[in-house]
Amino acid sequence: MYHLIRIKNYLILLLLSISFSFLNVSAIVKPTKDFYVNDYANILSNETEEYIISKSSKLASIDGTQIVVVTVKNLEGNSLESYATKLFREFGIGDKNKNNGLLLLLALEERKFRVEVGYGLEGILPDGKTGRFQDEYIIPYLKENKWDEGIKNGYDAFYAEIVEQNNLDLSYNKPIEKNNSNSFSYVVASIFGLILGTIVGSALQTTCFRNKKTRKTLKKLSFISAIMGFLAFVLMTIVFCSLTSFALIENEISSFLIFFIVGTFCALFSTGKGSYGGGFSSFGSSGGGFSGGGGSSGGGGSSRGF
Amino acid sequence: MNKGLGVLLGVVAVILLIAVSLGSSYNNMVRLSENVDSKYSDISVQLKRRADLIPNLINTVKGYMAHEQKIIDSITEARTNLVNAKTVSEQAKANDDLTKALNSLNVIVENYPDLKSNTNFIQLQDELAGTENRIATSRKDYNDAVKDYNSTIKSFPKNIIAGMFGFTEKDYFEISNTDKEVPNVSFD
Repeated sequence: MYHLIRIKNYLILLLLSISFSFLNVSAIVKPTKDFYVNDYANILSNETEEYIISKSSKLASIDGTQIVVVTVKNLEGNSLESYATKLFREFGIGDKNKNNGLLLLLALEERKFRVEVGYGLEGILPDGKTGRFQDEYIIPYLKENKWDEGIKNGYDAFYAEIVEQNNLDLSYNKPIEKNNSNSFSYVVASIFGLILGTIVGSALQTTCFRNKKTRKTLKKLSFISAIMGFLAFVLMTIVFCSLTSFALIENEISSFLIFFIVGTFCALFSTGKGSYGGGFSSFGSSGGGFSGGGGSSGGGGSSRGF
Repeated sequence: MNKGLGVLLGVVAVILLIAVSLGSSYNNMVRLSENVDSKYSDISVQLKRRADLIPNLINTVKGYMAHEQKIIDSITEARTNLVNAKTVSEQAKANDDLTKALNSLNVIVENYPDLKSNTNFIQLQDELAGTENRIATSRKDYNDAVKDYNSTIKSFPKNIIAGMFGFTEKDYFEISNTDKEVPNVSFD
């Protein structure tokens, strides 16, 4: 008799568990065959998907760490956190014993992003760090609806961190920091580059073009160089103001370099009013000419404030 | 002779059957009970972590909002209550109170843009939010484990074995009914 009851209990339990698992499946997306990329919102490019799959599978083969990217249309009424945790567990991301999984989840309609970290990775990726990584590498892109770039960049950030912290023998791409470096540092870098470039240029001018003939021809050329300088200045302004996502000026070093080159070039070919005074006066004149250049990069900075 | 052996064998078989099912039920209950304990320790770890983060938060916040002493005090008090809470339902209530106190802080933070953009504060908020989410997750795991355990020890005939070996019902991690009173709203 009581075996019958036991069997009945088991049956009920079985039925319950089946219905529960069914409920879970209907609420949470299932892993695709690629596992590492599950683009249910259909917002990632094929290149990015292939990039993530190849990187993730390489990483997983070395130390079992799994980085999984999931995009969904919506959370079907769940909270982001509970959805992410459920999905993480259903997918079984990371090694079973090491628990070294990482989930990057994007919910399109809710416009939410979450980084869920397995127990085993919490040591190298504490919550504060994952939040900072999102602020610096992902959210600025997502705000502009650049899903593909944001996710790829964020993926690079976490990938690089895991490879570095675990001392793995893997190559990685540095993520591009978009939001954090403020316009001020760009302005400083540009001005610094400009001044240094002018010094170098005028020094070159005084040392290379010592003979008077070349100086005279240079004087004739000064008109052309002035136009060129002006054009360069306009070009830089345009570049800074409109193309802030342009790869060349993604960081301070490149803006320094650009202005260094511009400064050198213009100082080299400009023979200002005080050119008889030598290098330093020409530094003065071209420096004066390019003080506006410093201002233009200030405008460039403002377009960086996403 | 043959008949006697048959009866003896029958009795032995029944006794064995009872012993085996009793033993397996007992083992099952021990396993479920240990599962509950391990899930509970998961909650405890996260509750402690949360309590440990609060002083850092207070120190960061203090410099920015000296005039909001009332809220800072309420957070400190809620934290003390959480640390001193003994039973599961006490802890659940203290944890809930701390959440409320922190929520009222988060409302006020909106008036302090400097604090809001302070990297240290952002990091602490991330850590706290992560811990709260971990508490929510481990709380669900714990309650599931308690549900498994409680339904096992209460169902017939296991309740007899449970009674024999002293398995008692365990508390869910939730606010007990006596604590679920309507909050006092005062306009002072």
